[in-house]
Amino acid sequence: MLSARMNTAPKSFADLVGFPQSLGPAKPGIADTHGTTVLAVRFEGGILNLGDRRATAGNYIMYDRAEKVLALDDSTLVAISGSFARSVEIARYLKHTFKYYARTQLQELSLSGKLMEVTRALAGNLSMAAEGIGIFVPVVSAYDSSNDSFGIYMYDAMGAKFDGGDFGAAGSGSERVRGVFDYIQREKGAFEKRPLKDVLCDGLTMLDIAAQLDAATGGLEHAPPIAKVLTKDGISDVAPKDLKEAIQTVSKNAGGRK
Amino acid sequence: MLSPYDWQESVSQRAQYIENRLKGGSPIVGLAIEEGTLLYTYRRHVRKIYEIYDRLMFSAIGQQADVEAMRVTAIDFAHQEGFARSESDVTIGRVVGFALSSPLKRAFGDVTTAPFVIHALFAEMADAPKNDLFMTLVYDGDFTAHRNYAVAAGTLDAEKRMAELLKAEYRADMPQAEALKLADKVWRVGADLDANGEPDPELLEGSHPEIGFLDRASNRERRFVLREGR
Repeated sequence: MLSARMNTAPKSFADLVGFPQSLGPAKPGIADTHGTTVLAVRFEGGILNLGDRRATAGNYIMYDRAEKVLALDDSTLVAISGSFARSVEIARYLKHTFKYYARTQLQELSLSGKLMEVTRALAGNLSMAAEGIGIFVPVVSAYDSSNDSFGIYMYDAMGAKFDGGDFGAAGSGSERVRGVFDYIQREKGAFEKRPLKDVLCDGLTMLDIAAQLDAATGGLEHAPPIAKVLTKDGISDVAPKDLKEAIQTVSKNAGGRK
Repeated sequence: MLSPYDWQESVSQRAQYIENRLKGGSPIVGLAIEEGTLLYTYRRHVRKIYEIYDRLMFSAIGQQADVEAMRVTAIDFAHQEGFARSESDVTIGRVVGFALSSPLKRAFGDVTTAPFVIHALFAEMADAPKNDLFMTLVYDGDFTAHRNYAVAAGTLDAEKRMAELLKAEYRADMPQAEALKLADKVWRVGADLDANGEPDPELLEGSHPEIGFLDRASNRERRFVLREGR
């Protein structure tokens, strides 16, 4: 085990732990638990990630405190929708892959290297996804210190990556709010130039609208959504007090339609 | 065929050979303080302190190829454990005791292979300085656990003098700046190979301090910080 290595090519973490890069087809008829709507929005100084708390299995609301936004490292956040079991496991795998690379190679994995790992993980999931189980779609938010920029990346279930610009969303409620995002951007200007406080209210409004139009998305009242912020300094939760205030503002504004 | 005498003879020659090679190594000081866990040494061009896992770091005196082999083995073991079980199941005791000690012992006892020239110091950060754990591991697989502080140096005599100074001046509640000053003082005592009151000029020549720090209060995913002094 301690024998000196002649081979200096970086070893893959998947090989080290025997992580299956590709899974065989699943037996149909198993209903796995799904997380629903997540979104990522730029603001001045970073990226805000929001996720409702609902996890469903078919018509059944499995859980109302689900954590759908996970830190992969200090500059990468992933918001997940779809199969809970697969996405949490793959997030754990990605987290280990990134830190294993950084520690063995003595340098951080580049942003494109990290995004490629996400693609590979999704592609490996494909045969299961084709059977209708284990499908999940992530939204990746990243800070790239090599050129001091933020990026939001969306994926499809096969692993294709799309640069989302200022906005990314996934999950059953996400299509419902894409137009809302465009509308807000036209009315109020680019998200990346607006303060966190305002963007938080807009993000919560989008989540609230998604909950209105999509039965699988939880609202704001039952349990506060997950709200995490990625900046140059790392990842943190939105302070509970700020989140509560923003939810009250959004709920008050929603009163008009009743 | 080797007689028992030949084996003993060759093993003691190997030990002597290794100890001679370790003698000129730059000492390493480990300290547990409120703010976190520290490793302190001086180095030239090649890095000496490495992150092993979320709360584990390591530094070693010895041949670079051997240090590298140990580093990679420790990282592999820690990450396999952390992924197969959980992050909190990765402990320094198991990395050193299970993954590293036995192969070192085997390599040392097998007179047909080159022995590992290495003397390593591992550090594990816990919730408080009193629970931090240091482990030293030497070329024949022997390991020792230490609390509060630990040292690794080229000679037993240097280590003794370093430990005496630490015993007199270490406090768990010392601020980081003060701990670094103490670490430097202890390093200088350890680098004083012929005990003449001055660090060996060969160890000081062209080298600068390197500090590995595990930040206890940090909320970041990565708690390890590497710093270089002047």
